[in-house]
Amino acid sequence: MRSSLSPPLLAADLSGDLVSDCRNYNTPMFQITAEPIDSATIRARVADPAAGGFCSFEGWVRNHHQGKEVDCLEYEAYAALAEKEGARIVEEAVAKFDLQHAMCLHRTGRLEIGELAVIVCVSSSHRDAAFGACRYIIDEVKSRVPIWKKEFFTDGEAGWVRCDHCAGH
Amino acid sequence: MKVLILAGGKSRRMGRDKAGIERPDGILQLDYLIGLARAVSDDVLVSTNDPGIVPEGIQILADLQPGDGPLGALASFKARFPDEPVLLLGCDHFLMDEETLRNLLDGRNPAAAATAYPNRIDHRAEPLCAIFEPGALEAVDAQLNAKRFCARTLLESLNPEVLPLQNPVALDNANRPTDLDEAFAKLTEGVSPKTVRILYFAKLREARGLDEESVETLACTAAGLYEEIAFRHRFPLELDALRCACNGDFCEWSTRIQQDDEIVFIPPVAGG
Repeated sequence: MRSSLSPPLLAADLSGDLVSDCRNYNTPMFQITAEPIDSATIRARVADPAAGGFCSFEGWVRNHHQGKEVDCLEYEAYAALAEKEGARIVEEAVAKFDLQHAMCLHRTGRLEIGELAVIVCVSSSHRDAAFGACRYIIDEVKSRVPIWKKEFFTDGEAGWVRCDHCAGH
Repeated sequence: MKVLILAGGKSRRMGRDKAGIERPDGILQLDYLIGLARAVSDDVLVSTNDPGIVPEGIQILADLQPGDGPLGALASFKARFPDEPVLLLGCDHFLMDEETLRNLLDGRNPAAAATAYPNRIDHRAEPLCAIFEPGALEAVDAQLNAKRFCARTLLESLNPEVLPLQNPVALDNANRPTDLDEAFAKLTEGVSPKTVRILYFAKLREARGLDEESVETLACTAAGLYEEIAFRHRFPLELDALRCACNGDFCEWSTRIQQDDEIVFIPPVAGG
């Protein structure tokens, strides 16, 4: 059902707010947001009668890193380029896998333990494409999108995280 | 005065011997510098442990103690010519010109232990286009014995005469391939000041203490701009660890920057 794929991102869409209508395919497929992310809203955004499979990945703020206790995180983004590169990644996933829809949102600002930092939602006719695309999008976002993470540890120290130290890289 | 061209470096970051690099006009860098040196001196020597790279008729000064860098070359010179001053000239000055060498010789102050030019960014005296008087060479041995190999530290300890630098880019050096792109761009496209906007993020924002600033630069390429800024502010990240963006999208380090461009140097990213 390629005809129902999310269309390429339009420049004018970048500033658009999220809308609740899941059929509004002009919604940007990748967004940087300073507001808390509601996963149910994003899940609804990729819902489609033609989709038999749905996968999501949520990145949460955890309370430890490399043996040290984490107090909170701060995310910072070069938003203009982050949204451009993020949209390219989602479009690549749409082109590589047999998807219905795909969306990814990433938070900026200070996040507490347990908060949602990033979400990927994809829908597809069959499960393989959904699993593969979800994995592809989060991996590419972590390594390519200009977003930075500063960890604040409970011992008062703080530092910028390098992608190659992140789990899975 | 003798001119001693340093052609013995390992060129680790460049990945190939700088002396053998072909300039945009097809001349090898070592041959180019020998030509400049001969225009101002009858007595040109090349410091190297690889005689094969030196043209016939040019005297070679091998290191007494290989691996000691520019200070080792000075020590070897002193052992051979204890009573003579020397104009030391690094091989990685791709923008060097005859006028700069001539002005150095004309402005030499033999009463000072050394005569040099300031670096155009941090204004500290540059040791690899400088005259060292015979008396200065005692300090070389002292530093080498203490295993301190920094030529800048040596020169500053000598309280050198520092001359005004007429051609601001003459002392620009090239240590990695992106520096060479920058030097060749300056050679072929000319040097003109331009003002660009730089946005800083994450580690670089903290290192600079600013979110953004306007900067006047002589750089032609994005890499050249980063090297200028990173050197000025002692940034904690090497160019190899970064990506760059120009006017809202990723760009190559060789991208030519233009007046009013918006440039971002992108530290290692860590989303997720």
